[in-house]
This record gives sequence, C-alpha cells and structure tokens, in this order.
Amino acid sequence: MTTTPGTEYPFAPVPPAEAVEHLGRIIADRPMTKMTMPYGGDVWLVHRNAAAREILSDRRFVREPFRTGERVVPFFVPFPDFLRGTLQFEDPPQHTKLRKLVQKAISPKRVREMRDSAVAFANELIDGMIGRGGVRDLVPEYSLALPIEMLSNLLGVPSSDREKFERWSSSTLAVAGKTEAEVAADMAELAAYMTGLIAERREEPRDDLLSALAHARDRDETLTDAEILPIAFILIVGGFDNTATFLSTGVLALLSNDEERARFAADPDGLAATAAEEVLRHGGFATGRPAGGGGGLVPFVATEDVVVDGQLIAKGEAVSIDPSAAGHDPAVVTEPARFDIGRPDNPHLTLSHGLHHCLGAPLARMELQVGLAELFKRVPGLRLAGEPVFSRDVLTQPMTSLPVTW
Amino acid sequence: MTKENTIVPKVFYTQSDGIERVVEAEAGDSVMQTAVRNGVPGILGQCGGSLSCATCHVFLDERHADDFPPVGEDEDDMLDVAATDREDNSRLSCQLVLAPGQEVHVTIPETQL
Repeated sequence: MTTTPGTEYPFAPVPPAEAVEHLGRIIADRPMTKMTMPYGGDVWLVHRNAAAREILSDRRFVREPFRTGERVVPFFVPFPDFLRGTLQFEDPPQHTKLRKLVQKAISPKRVREMRDSAVAFANELIDGMIGRGGVRDLVPEYSLALPIEMLSNLLGVPSSDREKFERWSSSTLAVAGKTEAEVAADMAELAAYMTGLIAERREEPRDDLLSALAHARDRDETLTDAEILPIAFILIVGGFDNTATFLSTGVLALLSNDEERARFAADPDGLAATAAEEVLRHGGFATGRPAGGGGGLVPFVATEDVVVDGQLIAKGEAVSIDPSAAGHDPAVVTEPARFDIGRPDNPHLTLSHGLHHCLGAPLARMELQVGLAELFKRVPGLRLAGEPVFSRDVLTQPMTSLPVTW
Repeated sequence: MTKENTIVPKVFYTQSDGIERVVEAEAGDSVMQTAVRNGVPGILGQCGGSLSCATCHVFLDERHADDFPPVGEDEDDMLDVAATDREDNSRLSCQLVLAPGQEVHVTIPETQL
C-alpha cells in the first residue's frame, strides 16, 4: 500500500499546528490506517470522527479475545494483565450488568452532590500552596491531590489509609522503574487491602461505592469480590493519573495561551464546562509541546467482516480509535487547531463513546471544571516557573511535575 | 406503503431557555440519535444508547405520553441518577424510537452532567 506524501501514519512529533495539519491530510485521504504496534501486532487506527463513532456503537466489535488471552492487546507497551480482568474488557451481557451497577454509584447526580466538597478541597489545597509560597509543584500539591481525595471518598478509603493506598495504586500502572516483583507485591497488597475493605462494607455498609457494590443486587445476583475488585482497580487507574494529567495539562495550556487565560480568569465559572471539554480535545496541543501521531484507545476485535466508511475491517482484525485525529477532524470541529475554551459543541472522543465510554467521565469532568475554575479564581496571576516533567514509566505517561508561581 | 410511512418524523427540541428547534429525523432513529447527529445541544448520549450514562435525559411533552413504550426497569434506574431531577414525564431519549411521520415535542433539562 502506498501512502500519499504528507499523510504518513504514524508520524514523529512536530510542532502542534503542523501535527493538526498532518492529521487533516490523513483524514482527507482515508478513514483509518493499519499500523503495527510495538506489542500485539497490527491494528486499524481510526482517524475520522464519524467512522470512530460508528465503530464504538457497533456490537460486532468486542474485546473478548483480549480478556481470554487468545490475543495480545495491540498497544505501545505491554498491557498490564490485571487490566484485562476489568470492566473495559468485558462484553455484553456481563459488561451491561457490572457497568450499570457502577454507573449508578458514579452517576451525574452523585457527582453533582460531590461538587461542593470538591470545591472546598480544591480551596484547601490552594490555601496550602499560597501559605507555603515561592515556587510550588502543581502536580503533587493540586492536580493529583484533588482526584485522589475525590476517588478515595467515593470508594470509601479511610483517610488514615490514604498514604499506603496511594503507594500501592501508583504501582498498578508501572511499566518501568519498578521491578516486576515490586509491582506484583504492591498489587497483591492493594488487592488484599481492598478485599478487606469490601468485607468490612459487607458487614457495615456506609455511603460509599464499595458499600454500594458489596450490596448491589442485579435481579437475584450479587457481586462477588472477584467482580468488585477489578472495578475498584479500573477506577484507581483512570481516577488518579489520567484525571491529574488532564488537569495539569489544562493549567499548562492556559498558561501557554495568554488570550485564553485572560478570558478564563475573567469568568471561570461561566467557562469551566466548555474549557474542560476543550482541554480534553486539544489541551496537549495547546501546551505548544510537539505532537506526533500513532496510537489510540484500548482496541476491539471484529467478530465478522465489517465495512466502515468504505474500508473493510476483516473478521479477527483489531481496531482502535485515534482520539487525537478524531478530535481534530475538520468535518466536525471548526478551526481544529485553535484552542477555544468557549467552543459550544465539542465532539471529541478522548473519553471514548458508546458502551465503553469512560466510566468515571462525570467525575473526571467535574474535577477538571472545579480544578481549573478554583485555581484561576484564587490565583489569577499564576505563571510557569519551570518546565513540566512527564513520566514514561507508567502506562498513562502522566505529567509528574509542573513548577508554578504567582 | 401508505403516505404516512413516507413522511419523515420530526422532533421539536425546546432548550431550558425556551428556544425551540425542529429537526427532521429518520424513522428508526431515536430522539437521542437525532439530536446528536444534528448537533442539538444539551443531549449528550455518551453511552450511545446502552442505558449506562443518563446523559440524554428529556422531558417528554404530555401529549406523547402514550406514543412510546413505557419506561423500562433499566431506564427507570438511570433516570433516578440523572443530573437534573426527574419528573413524571422524564425519559431517556435513547429509548424514544421514532416511527415514520411521528412528531415529538421534548424539553431538554438544564444540565446532563
């Protein structure tokens, strides 16, 4: 297969404006590209937004072969084994049962009720940073602290256990930097701890997610520990690093774009919702850091031949959504290279769509909105005091440091 | 095919601020799909209609109360946890599938998240 010049995929990092143009040329040229991943072999990466939505709504694409181990997950790092036991690798009907139980506990309504406590905790964290003064590291002191607090509250982890809970949790995503034995030991400790907590909640339920799951009834079935544990794990994975990185990226994007920062600081509450969506769509690009192409969300496998947007995806082939391209598709996003925190409709797929759309989406969105709004309300003169640091040692490649001052 | 079967369904979406927009739909599509495909703001439909997100909540005009199958068990559960409190005429718009020629009036709640 020959590729039209200027539409190569994957492509190495280039300045963000160039990357958006490159993605636009690919999208004009074809709906998807077959690429060989470092692990797990070939996968179709779907660039066009409409084609991506079509696939995400089509039950003929499943994840069972990854869950059973029949297929290796095509990904840029070895996909951690424990994640293959989680909800995101289940298909209906088991997926439907688990998902509904969890979604009730992490629903739009529940998250709305958590909003006031998120605002209060964000302000506590800001008080701490202002009190300490000088150059502060936004990631540990704010972006990570906020989602950890929210998720621990939601799960029902007592505050006295937070420190060890965080340490074990950080191991769940380690792909380097820790030995396999260290990771395995931390994971086992986390599993044992969570199992103990679930047992306590079975005895004495409280108003938290573990209690809700321990006492959930789906018709006549209840959830076993073996079903609850992976749910807790997947929430930890998404709820810590990913949320923190979105928040840090949002702050960095605003600090890198004077006009949008001034606009946001003038009306943080009014713009928080649209700004959060724009950070999810384009935040990484808006930081000015070079952007490349090559990689996507967790893949699916086609159970039969399916033609999508004119391209045959053959039975047994893997397919994955390229959220960078889908969020910069000129067919659905006007001026995709522009960072516009007031963009009214924002059809990005960063949190996916359909059956497997991000379980914690309501919570992540709320934390991003509150985290950005409170920070710029209290510290409108926030500015960078150094370069951000990213870790390549964990699956989510989080931002681990962002020095700021005011 | 009778004449009615060839007429496209229409959905009248009223935003919480009172502004109405009429969209021509396709028979067999839901009120949620019609909104998402036509960029009607305020209906998100994140789960694509699998009854697991409660982000396509609408208030169905009383005159259509009997035009659709009643609220199912799963829909009922999700309506309980929608961001805007449910009312007697609350529905998840992914469950409102349009028949040829059908006209439906819905009001979109203030927030879905």
